[in-house]
Amino acid sequence: MSLSLCKVRLQEERKQWRKDHPFGFYARPKKTADGTLDLTRWDAGIPGKSNSLWAEATYPVTITFSDEYPSKPPKVMFPPGFWHPNVYPSGTVCLSILNESQDWRPAITLKQIVLGIQELLTNPNPDSPAQEPAWKAFSKDRATYEKKVKEQAKKYANAT
Amino acid sequence: MGKDTYLRKILGPERLSKIRASKVLMVGAGGIGCELLKDLLLSGFGEIHIIDLDTITLSNLNRQFLFLKEDIDKLKSLIVAKNVQSFNYFDCKLIPYHGNVMDTKAFPLEWYNQFDYIYNALDNLEARRYVNKIALFLRKPLMESGTTGFDGQVQPIYPYETECFDCLEKATPQTFPVCTIRSTPSKPVHCIVWAKEFLFQQLFSFSTLQEVLQDQLRGETDDSEEIDRINKEANELFALKSLISQEDFPSQVIRKIYDEDIEKSLRLETLWKNREKPQVLDFENTYKGPLMDMLSDASNESILSDDARSCTLLEILYIFWVSIVRLQKRVNENQELDILFDKDDEDTLNFVSAAANLRSHAFHIDLQTKFDIKQIAGNIIPAIATTNAIISGFSDLASLNYWNSNFETKHAKTTFISIKENKRATSAAVGPPSKKCASCGQVSRGIANISKDMLKMTVQDLLLKIIKKYGYGDDISLLLGQGELIYDYDFDDNLESKLADIKSFKSNEILLIQDEEDNWENLELYLNFVDGDSIFDLPDLTLRPKPQVELPKEDEDKNDDNGPELEAGFIEIDDEDEPPAKKRKIQEEIEIL
Repeated sequence: MSLSLCKVRLQEERKQWRKDHPFGFYARPKKTADGTLDLTRWDAGIPGKSNSLWAEATYPVTITFSDEYPSKPPKVMFPPGFWHPNVYPSGTVCLSILNESQDWRPAITLKQIVLGIQELLTNPNPDSPAQEPAWKAFSKDRATYEKKVKEQAKKYANAT
Repeated sequence: MGKDTYLRKILGPERLSKIRASKVLMVGAGGIGCELLKDLLLSGFGEIHIIDLDTITLSNLNRQFLFLKEDIDKLKSLIVAKNVQSFNYFDCKLIPYHGNVMDTKAFPLEWYNQFDYIYNALDNLEARRYVNKIALFLRKPLMESGTTGFDGQVQPIYPYETECFDCLEKATPQTFPVCTIRSTPSKPVHCIVWAKEFLFQQLFSFSTLQEVLQDQLRGETDDSEEIDRINKEANELFALKSLISQEDFPSQVIRKIYDEDIEKSLRLETLWKNREKPQVLDFENTYKGPLMDMLSDASNESILSDDARSCTLLEILYIFWVSIVRLQKRVNENQELDILFDKDDEDTLNFVSAAANLRSHAFHIDLQTKFDIKQIAGNIIPAIATTNAIISGFSDLASLNYWNSNFETKHAKTTFISIKENKRATSAAVGPPSKKCASCGQVSRGIANISKDMLKMTVQDLLLKIIKKYGYGDDISLLLGQGELIYDYDFDDNLESKLADIKSFKSNEILLIQDEEDNWENLELYLNFVDGDSIFDLPDLTLRPKPQVELPKEDEDKNDDNGPELEAGFIEIDDEDEPPAKKRKIQEEIEIL
C-alpha cells in the first residue's frame, strides 16, 4: 500500500501536461503488459532548440519516478552513449534540478524538467562532466564536438 | 473487596463495563509493547490481540521486562501473552499472532474490523504508515506511540476527525550514493559507512558478496572511469586480504588505503575541480617511526579503551594498527574467517573508528571520538526503559477517554515527554486533518465489496457505477497499485476490457479515483473480493469539495520559498527543540483522565 502522494501527483502531472505542454515536446507513460499505463515510467521527447546545433531533431528520454517522488526527483535517461558533456555513458542526465541534494524541489513540474533538459542540450555545464569524450571535445576541441552533435541530430532528426 | 474495586472507582462503572466488553489490537510486542500490554491488561480490557513478527534476543532483555533469559529465540507475541498470565486479574482473553502486520493474506482489512481500538507499539515508519492507512479505511481509532532516548510522544488518531499519522511529514532515512562513500566523502558519516560497510567487510568478512556491490554500482552511478577505479580498488583489496598471514599486513593495509588509493584518486582531476583535494598520509616517512615507538610501550594500551578521547593522528594510527594486529590474529590463530562488525566487539569497533578517522583526515573532514562513531556505526537509537514505560502509560491512559460517555474527538490530546526540566510532559490538543495530507486531507476512503462473478463487468461499467454513486462529472481517472492507470480522459483503450483481464484489479488492492475537473476530492476504494453472487457494494460516502491544487503556477514559482506546499520541511518526531506541536497551544498541565 504505497503512499498516495506519488500517484496523485503523477496523475496531476499527466493532466497538466495534457492541458499545456511546450511545442514539439511529447511525454507519455509506458504501456504495461496488461494494457494499463505505468505512470511511474514515461517516454518523452525533447526537441533541440531551433537555430542551434541540436535543431531539427527530437531526442528521446525515459523518465522514471520512484515511490518517494515528489520528495525525490525522477531519473531522466537518454539512450546509452548519448553525446553530451553532462550525460553519463549510461544515458543518465546530470542536472542540478534532478539532484536531490542540489536544486530538486517537489514543486518542479514535468514541464520544467523537460524544458530544463532542452536548455542543457545547448548549454552544457563544463564544471559537471558526466562523460569524458563529449566533455573533452567540448572543452578542448570544439570542431569535433560540433561535428558529433550534428551527426547525432541527424540520427534523431524530425520526420519531414 | 473485588479485584476491580479501584478500577471501578477511577473509571466509573459504566466506562469500566464498556472497556471490559472491548476487543483491542496491539501491534508490536517490543519495548513499548511489553509495557503497554501490562497497562492494557490492568486497565480491564476484555480481549487483547497482539501481533509481532520478531523473536526475542539478548539485547531486548534490559528493557522488555516480560521476557526472561530462557525466552531468547522464542516468539515475542506468544511469550508476552504467556508471561502476563501471572497478573491477568481480570481474565482478559489474549490472542497472539506471529506475523507481519502488512501481510494482507494473513491480516486482510476485514480482520482489523473486529477491533474497537488499535494501539501501535511499532519501531518503523513503514508499518506505522500501513496501520495508519488501515485505520483510515476502517475509521478505527488508533493510538500512535514512539520514543527516542528520553523523548517520547503519543498521538491519538481519530480518522477524518483528527490529524492522521501522515499529516505531519516525517524524515525519511538517509542513504548515500556509492560515489560519495567511495570517492568523495564530505561528512564524518560517509567515512564511517565506508569503514564499516566497505573496508572492514572486504578485509575481514568472508561472506561479503562482490556481486551485490556491482548491482548497487550500476544502479547508482554512471561514470565508467569511476566504476573502473572503484572495482579495481575492491580487487586490490581482495589481493591485500590474502596477505593477512604476513607480518607486515598492518603496514601494507595503511599504505594501500591511505597512500596509494588516495594518490590514484588524485589523478582523476575532474573529481577535484570543485572539491578540496584529499591528502596522502605518507605513512613510511612521517608516521612509521613514531608509531613503532608507541607500539613498544605497553602503557599506551589505555588509549584503546578511552572512548571519549579526541585522538591525535598518531594515536589513531596506533589504534588502527593494534586493531588490525588483533583481528589478524583472530583470523590466523582462531580461524575466525568471517568476522562481522559488532559495536560491542572492541576490535571491530576500534578498527572501524580508526579507519573512518584516518579517511576523514585524508578528506579534510572533522575527526570524531570513538564514542560518537559507535553511535553512528552501531545504528544506535538509544532505547530507555523508563521512557517506554511512561509513553506506554500515556498511550493507555489517553485511550481510556474514548470510552467516556461524553467523549468527543476534539478533546483528544497528544502528549510529549522529554528530559528538559520545564518540558517533562506537555500535552496539546490534536489538530484537525491537514488539508495538505495526501493520506487523509485530500482523499476519502472506503471498502468496495465485490463478488468474483462481477469481474466480467467492463471498465466502462465500473466507471459509470462510480460516477453515478458519487456524483462525479464524466471526467475521472482510475488508478491501481503503484501508479497503473486504467482509464482517464486521454486513455480509453481499456473501456471494453473486463475487470478480470486487468491483472492488478484484485482483492486487497486499492483503486484510486480522481476527479479530473477538480470539483471533488480523491477517493480510494479498498477492493475486497467476497463470496457470493452479484455483489458490487460501493461504500456510502459523501465526497468533500476538492482542496486547492498543490501544483504552483509556474509564473509564481519565481519566488522559490513560498509556493510549494509539498516542500514543507521535514519534521522529526523526536527533535527536542522543535516539537511538532510547537505552534499549538501547549497546556502545562496534563489532563488525561
